[in-house]
Amino acid sequence: MVSGLTVSERQWSMAILVIVAFVGLAMAAAGANRADPMQAHGFIVLLFSLAVFCFVLRDYYQPEPAAARLASYYDDPSKAGIVVAMLWAVFGMFIGDWVAWLLAFPDLTFDAAWSSFGRLRPAHTTGVIFGFGGNALIATSFHVMQRTSRARLPDQFSPWFVLVGYNLFCLLAISGYFLGITQSKEYAEPEWYADIWLVIVWVVYLVLYLRTLARRKEPHIYVANWYYLAFILVVAILHVVNNLAVPASFAGAKSYSLFSGVQDAMTQWWYGHNAVAFFLTAGFLGMLYYYLPKRAGRPIYSYRMSIIGFWGITFFYMWAGSHHLHYTALPQWVQTLGMTFSVMLLVPSWIAAANALLTLNGAWDKVRDDATLRFMMMAAVFYGLSTFEGSFMAIRSVNALSHYTDWTIGHVHAGAMGWVALITFGSIYAVVPWLWKRERMYSPVLVEVHFWLALAGTLIYVFAMWNSGIIQGLMWRTYNDSGTLTYSFLDTMVAMHPYYVARAIGGLLFLLGAIVGCYNIWMTIRRPSELPAASGDIPLPVNLQPAE
Amino acid sequence: MDIGHYTLVGFAKSFGLFYLLALAAAALLYACWPANRTRFDKAARDIIEDEDKPWR
Amino acid sequence: MFGTHYRIERKSIALAVTIMIVASIGGLIEIAPLFTIDDTVESDPSMRVYTPLELAGRNIYMREGCYACHSQMVRTLQDEVERYGPYSLAVESKYDHPMLWGSKRTGPDLARLGGKYSDQWHTAHLKNPRDVVPQSIMPRYKWLSESQLQTKHLGDDLRALRAVGVPYTDAMIENASDDAVAQASPDDDTAGLTKRYGDATQIRSFDGDKATVSEMDALVAYLQILGKLSDAAHQPPPPKE
Repeated sequence: MVSGLTVSERQWSMAILVIVAFVGLAMAAAGANRADPMQAHGFIVLLFSLAVFCFVLRDYYQPEPAAARLASYYDDPSKAGIVVAMLWAVFGMFIGDWVAWLLAFPDLTFDAAWSSFGRLRPAHTTGVIFGFGGNALIATSFHVMQRTSRARLPDQFSPWFVLVGYNLFCLLAISGYFLGITQSKEYAEPEWYADIWLVIVWVVYLVLYLRTLARRKEPHIYVANWYYLAFILVVAILHVVNNLAVPASFAGAKSYSLFSGVQDAMTQWWYGHNAVAFFLTAGFLGMLYYYLPKRAGRPIYSYRMSIIGFWGITFFYMWAGSHHLHYTALPQWVQTLGMTFSVMLLVPSWIAAANALLTLNGAWDKVRDDATLRFMMMAAVFYGLSTFEGSFMAIRSVNALSHYTDWTIGHVHAGAMGWVALITFGSIYAVVPWLWKRERMYSPVLVEVHFWLALAGTLIYVFAMWNSGIIQGLMWRTYNDSGTLTYSFLDTMVAMHPYYVARAIGGLLFLLGAIVGCYNIWMTIRRPSELPAASGDIPLPVNLQPAE
Repeated sequence: MDIGHYTLVGFAKSFGLFYLLALAAAALLYACWPANRTRFDKAARDIIEDEDKPWR
Repeated sequence: MFGTHYRIERKSIALAVTIMIVASIGGLIEIAPLFTIDDTVESDPSMRVYTPLELAGRNIYMREGCYACHSQMVRTLQDEVERYGPYSLAVESKYDHPMLWGSKRTGPDLARLGGKYSDQWHTAHLKNPRDVVPQSIMPRYKWLSESQLQTKHLGDDLRALRAVGVPYTDAMIENASDDAVAQASPDDDTAGLTKRYGDATQIRSFDGDKATVSEMDALVAYLQILGKLSDAAHQPPPPKE
């Protein structure tokens, strides 16, 4: 990988790594001075940059790559990104299933601070959302923007900076929770210095995207890029605004958010809901609008619908965040506004889901035979289902029942497992053979196994949470004949036990599927290519292999 | 601050609606404008009929 | 050649700018009026700030991720008011940077927890919840009693909070470390602490071990103040305009 870089790009990498290493050293020293957990983070930054430095140094004296490389796309960062995404997937899902078991059997853990539920839980959410989802988005965006622009990445250094820098952010975030470093803002837990680092990485990402688009062949920008671009831009806005904070000291990890109380709540859920919109939806719709037509061998059903859906999502989502705060101290007009827009949001969401499914109309035989395409089809189905559920749950009277219960957890996982993870697995199974120039995945049967494990896991999970959420919500508000509450909180909690066990089993199946996927991808990479070296960018014109 | 809370809320409620309508109209017009049709169809087809190499 | 290149580049930047504008406006319109909300929200001049010990406890509450399972927001629904107490008002979390309203009740709401249970109950419950509530699924936080509370730099925390709008005085910032220790050491001189934070300040050894100020002291001090910074929620509602 390093040998693909020019000598000046190798020098750039090493210079940046030395700077980062010094920043890490400074953090370690400052933290040690105050006995602050920032010390540990300083060492992590230092070791991380030194490890990458050694990796670059090892191949520093390799000959420069031939100029012929410029005649093909630059895919090394995409390859690395996909491997890393799968590793994060296994890590994040393992932690997720662990905490799921903890809710059923609370003593299934070590008697140590780092392994208590409250510290593991953000490690799960960050691991799957930012580790798995984020790396998959970065890796596929590099792949998609080059193909749809018919342009090679403008340089070879910045994609590596984005990918490696982003993973340093993930590492700081997750190690921070274990060490007790957190802002406690859900899905925005990392502290101020990690947030600043992510801003730097993100600006480079945006500039790289725009520079690649500027090199494109056709004046028109393919719609998948619109979604990826919205993902990059809006996540930047959300991240900066929600993480505004004043550090207690520049030598310590702790910071205090600029906003308080009701303003902070609104800002936080404006962030939280739009992280769902632009991290977990827009970017993955970008994936869908490229890999689904590509794999099915058919153009998207309606390009117009994809554009209308795009502006609808970009506009409506921003208003919907306040539905997380129904019946709270937030002024009621904001709650009503959030509810109204959340219901209207169903229109652009279903336009996207329908567009995906209608693209497959006439190719259902392929969906039957090809598990990769079926992953994408099922993702579109879950996208439609969970956006409907989301709009429904945003209605005030429904939310009175569902909020604070497992119904929310079920809804989130219908989206995260059913939509985000399935479209990602589908896209990865499509792109891995293309990137590594293989005829197909190592084992189509294992893709099939993964599909059924993932689907079964998702369904068990979601049904368990629907049951537990609705039961608990109803128990909380049940009155007896004398007009007092029938159930103590504890009664309602004890009633959740069987569903928590079922949920943990569902999660386990999903995790097993991801492990099977890792094995399959690893074997695909390891197996030597039987294809002639001169075969094209996509080895075969989507030669669909039956499962058997 | 001179601008009172109710002024801002009133503005948010009224302007929001007009803005929404204007934006919806603009997006629909752009998407359905007949002259854009060929461009959109070409864009949708082009990713399927891939060329193997970057043009630069 | 340069001309066409420039035109294309302009187009992608125009798209980016349009996305930014379209996406920002929703948030702006929704959030901006909340910053003039002081016009409408109930005010409580008697509301007090967190003492350094309570603040340290609050930071432990956040560090351990308690907010993932416990909300601090009683909604305006009858069953919640009957189960937990008066519904939460905006003013009550005015000094909460960040707020800890939460989003999930795996355990019960804690907005009105202060004074509901004894210190001994809290300490035993945090050490092993199943000793006190056999069916509980809460994690054990045994190590809190064993770790000494870091009080040395609490002045920095107060100063940062003052920068974002919490009315800590110079004297409070200056004495932050001493005040944190004093609040959990009833035998020491606590006159300065009560002078700065008011007579209602709860001063006692919260974990029952007077020898040291542990993280358990801080966390229990925080749990015992929940819902008690202001009594605005217990007042009869103001007449409608």
